[in-house]
Amino acid sequence: MFSLSVYCRLPTDTTMSLDKIGQDEWVAQVEARRAARGPLGRVLARLEAANPFVVGGLLFGLAALLPLLTSNDYVLRIAGNVCLYGLLALGLNVVVGYAGLLDLGYVAFYGIGGYGYAMLASNQFGIHVPTPVAVLVVVVLAALAGLLLGLPSLRLTGDYLAIVTLGFAQIFVLLTNTLDKASVPWSSQVVNVTGGPNGITAIDPLHLFGWELSGVGGYFYVLLATLALVLLMLRNINQSRVGRAWRALREDTLAAEAMGMPVRRLKLLAFAIGAAIAGLSGSIFAAWQTAVFPQNFDITLLITLYAMVVLGGLGSLPGAVAGALLLSVIPELLRGPDTARLLFYGGVVAMTLLLMKPRWRGVALLVAVLALGLVVRLAATALWPQALGPAPAPVSSGLGALAQRWLIFPANATLAGNLLFVLVIGLLMIVSRGRRPGVRFVLLIPSLYLLAFVWETRLAAEPSVTRLLFLGAILVLLMTYRPHGLFGKPRVEVV
Amino acid sequence: MEAFLNQIPQQLVNGLTLGAVYALIALGYSMVYGVLQLLNFAHGDVYMIGAFVGYGVLTALAPKSGLLAPPWAIILLMLLAAMLICGLLGVVIEWFAYRPLRGAPRIAPLISALGVSFFLQNAVLLILTANYRTMKTELLLPPRMGLDIGPARVSAVRLLVILGALALMVALNALVRRTRLGRAMRAVAIDREAAGMMGVDVDQVIVATFFIGSALAGAAGVLVGLAFTQVWHYMGFTAGLKGFTAAVLGGIGNIPGAMLGGLLLGLTESLAVGFISPTYKDLIAFVVLILVLLIRPTGLLGARIQQKV
Repeated sequence: MFSLSVYCRLPTDTTMSLDKIGQDEWVAQVEARRAARGPLGRVLARLEAANPFVVGGLLFGLAALLPLLTSNDYVLRIAGNVCLYGLLALGLNVVVGYAGLLDLGYVAFYGIGGYGYAMLASNQFGIHVPTPVAVLVVVVLAALAGLLLGLPSLRLTGDYLAIVTLGFAQIFVLLTNTLDKASVPWSSQVVNVTGGPNGITAIDPLHLFGWELSGVGGYFYVLLATLALVLLMLRNINQSRVGRAWRALREDTLAAEAMGMPVRRLKLLAFAIGAAIAGLSGSIFAAWQTAVFPQNFDITLLITLYAMVVLGGLGSLPGAVAGALLLSVIPELLRGPDTARLLFYGGVVAMTLLLMKPRWRGVALLVAVLALGLVVRLAATALWPQALGPAPAPVSSGLGALAQRWLIFPANATLAGNLLFVLVIGLLMIVSRGRRPGVRFVLLIPSLYLLAFVWETRLAAEPSVTRLLFLGAILVLLMTYRPHGLFGKPRVEVV
Repeated sequence: MEAFLNQIPQQLVNGLTLGAVYALIALGYSMVYGVLQLLNFAHGDVYMIGAFVGYGVLTALAPKSGLLAPPWAIILLMLLAAMLICGLLGVVIEWFAYRPLRGAPRIAPLISALGVSFFLQNAVLLILTANYRTMKTELLLPPRMGLDIGPARVSAVRLLVILGALALMVALNALVRRTRLGRAMRAVAIDREAAGMMGVDVDQVIVATFFIGSALAGAAGVLVGLAFTQVWHYMGFTAGLKGFTAAVLGGIGNIPGAMLGGLLLGLTESLAVGFISPTYKDLIAFVVLILVLLIRPTGLLGARIQQKV
């Protein structure tokens, strides 16, 4: 079977004028046009049509103002985390997005960067190497490790590569956990290499140009500048010969090889560059946190990074950063009960208004849900008042108080919340995949009411669980609605 | 050296128990991979749900006052309930999270699967809290019961795990080799489009595959719960990883390969525990995996992939 993938993109100058292109291209771009539809699609398409330097410069300029606007360390820490995750996502994007290698060992390079810097600049071995030298050594080391892990990739493909690299990552975490009592060959000495579960602490901060970096703001600027530099570098690589070769490799390795591309070298290069970026981020991370632990580099981070890259769109630079931004900010917003509640109800209302097709239907739905709540409340207080109890987590003012007065709570609200949680998930699943708008409308009224009930009884009470629950749900929903991610280009397979 | 050799039979029994469970989990991975080329990362969590269903049935039928049914009936009921519920759960997951992504790039369903995994774990955490639950296996199978084979002792629970897993694998093998559905599954695995053109209802086959694979995971969850007695919301992660490793070791998409890979992984691990150190158990398992893949890049029984143009 002859299979050829066409990498299709919209013309960059004018998004929607398609008068100059031929019939086949028009047909090939059907998916791209479909992706540009809808409120989200339109905004993303317009962003993409703009000059990347102008948009990027503006965004980075705005971000650089952040430490001047707020001295809140918590906000700056999150901003720094966004940059750090952005860096990591960009590095992963090189391996997975550009070269198409399913590398599940990526966090190990981040760990090598972190532990490498920690060993070179702390009291662990009593070495305190100057920052530029330490970072350089660590980056080179990580790149070499990338080459080493890349070697099996020349023989393995797809999922076999995935499991070998995953094994590498697991071995790294296991070693960092157990090498606090490493025996030296040919002697009975025991050496503490990694500190085991206690990690390495009291790591030197970064010294740059004679300054010792301290405070969250300083690290934020370092991370932001590094992010900008790496973005610029990757953009240039992406538009060079190597970038085009990587894309060819990803689309069809066999064809690329037949065209005379040095497939082995290209794969190794992708691994090395991705690993170097991870190593760089790891060393900044270690200096920032002044400590590294094995659990900083475990598989949860890998999953989050993959989610960021794929959510943003594989192979897209702004996408990787946008994914990092979304997936590190949303969980933070869900942390505080008030913002979480605002985000939740706001999100439900916005989703209803945006997704229900004739706009009046969305408004009607919200009105119906509100009315349902009032009717249920009136009926319950009139007919069976003794079964009602107080709200499980009462709030005295604001949106929460309003919602809790609108809902009713049975005496055993926790149990009811748990049972209804399962019911609501089922209902919402049916609604979101249902075909008939009338049935959806009718089902949505009780679903949304019950969702609010479950939120007030269970979800708001367990914020840490809710965050991950929502993360999972967002991943599934976004993937099923936009399989190519936010900024990714849909590809058309021509068979 | 004497003690060293005396340990071998017992470690083999342990390895066989562990391996039988790994094989059951690996089968689900491999079957789904065979028909969809999808790594179902939520598989480990389906297994966790199975363990909880088994726990629920056991607590319902074994209150403080005594057993409400004979032990064999309770065990059978636990297995059947877990298999049914997990099978249905697998079908729902396929319908909601994977079917819309049939034609999407291969990594999209992978992320969707991770999302399902996060969701299931945290839903269980929300509803059932993070407490470990202890299965009262001793009510069903007293620890004294068991067989002595030479220096090794096979307790009744381990025997149940090994035989139960074996029976399920034999049944699965018969299903895949002898029935119409099995033939359809093999056809879809070889070439989905061609199978569809020859009149195979591809969607139905995929649903059936998810049902069977998830049911096996549910059974594995119950068996593990009985054997190791601890059930908690995060148990699916490690088990899923091990099942995946076993499936790849044997050659993913290959049913006998999954069984072989599972047994091999279990034996490797328990021998590593016995002879080297429990700390390096997982390390050695992964080193063995990497070595095997470097020598045979498509697993032990995996077919060599012929790239066609």
